[in-house]
Amino acid sequence: MDPARQTKDYILPHQLLLSIAEQMKLPLLQIVRQAELARLNNDLVGVNDIRTLADNALQLIDAYSLSLQLNNNLSFQLAPQSTSIASVLYDANRQLEAFAKMYNVQLELNIGGRFEPVLAHKQGLESAIIGLASAFIETLPAQSSGSNFKLQLATHRCRYGIVAGVYADIPGLRSEALRRGRKLYGRSRQPLVDVSHTSGAGIFVADAIFKAMKLKMHASRHRHLYGLGVVLKTSSQLSLV
Amino acid sequence: MQTILLIEPDAVLARIYNAILQPKGYNVILVAGAQDAVVAADNLKPDLVICELQLVSHSGIEFLYEFRSYPDWRDVPVIVLSLVPLVEFNDSLYGLNERLGVVKYLYKPTTGLAELAREVSYVIG
Repeated sequence: MDPARQTKDYILPHQLLLSIAEQMKLPLLQIVRQAELARLNNDLVGVNDIRTLADNALQLIDAYSLSLQLNNNLSFQLAPQSTSIASVLYDANRQLEAFAKMYNVQLELNIGGRFEPVLAHKQGLESAIIGLASAFIETLPAQSSGSNFKLQLATHRCRYGIVAGVYADIPGLRSEALRRGRKLYGRSRQPLVDVSHTSGAGIFVADAIFKAMKLKMHASRHRHLYGLGVVLKTSSQLSLV
Repeated sequence: MQTILLIEPDAVLARIYNAILQPKGYNVILVAGAQDAVVAADNLKPDLVICELQLVSHSGIEFLYEFRSYPDWRDVPVIVLSLVPLVEFNDSLYGLNERLGVVKYLYKPTTGLAELAREVSYVIG
């Protein structure tokens, strides 16, 4: 194997692991402190919050594990299949509802019109979208001290296919920030410093999953919002859209 | 009532810290970032600042330099409550304590809520 490629293959999981380890401190800390508060106050509502936080942490671990397996060809590959992008976004939205509520973030689905199926692996695409959206949910309230945060799971048509992504009012989220983040991740505590106060592991795990699916994540705009998404090719399979 | 300016970017942790400090009789002002913290400090004259170092855009260290540059705020005590381990400040610990007036550095994963409340009470009574 080409030595440069070998080094790259080695560094990627290592950097992701460091990023994930940093990121996991946050949900574990939230769980521990929430449990402490619930115990002090005899608060049963707090126990539900603990479950939501733990669920989200497990989703991130799952996505991380998937990205590692895919990038190292350990067990299986995500062969593209005819997938309904609307159903992927619906499922992601449902899984993220409780977590978004904890952060006072309003989740919105924006599926403008009917789209033909796309070529992508459903589980991989869903894991990546959930990873991206979780990272955005955490970081939206950290952008300012307001209280009205909105996050869109959205899709729109472009010249090359159909774009699926996650969008919010984060002006710092541009191509340059993403490029710098990719260079810094694994080496900096905050590779996306203008976007997130964390290691942004959800974003980089999504990036790795997309890469394994031969897709490239881009900074893109959806109406007046900023976000991250991928361009998916449409499937020619006959379907009821 | 004493006022605490709590600079915490994570909304869930901010709510938890507020839930433990407010019942102790403190007026807790929650802000997520450095710019909002400067504005809040100007309006509310805090008796104590509790600050995370990892913030969006401007770090907690940048905020502290700005904060200390105003004569009115030079003597306001600061507690750092951060996910960044203290060991990463080995070379600049003196600067944190002497130049930026950090009276206590608390590492979040090892600082329980009771300990936080105790430290706050120790610093501002």
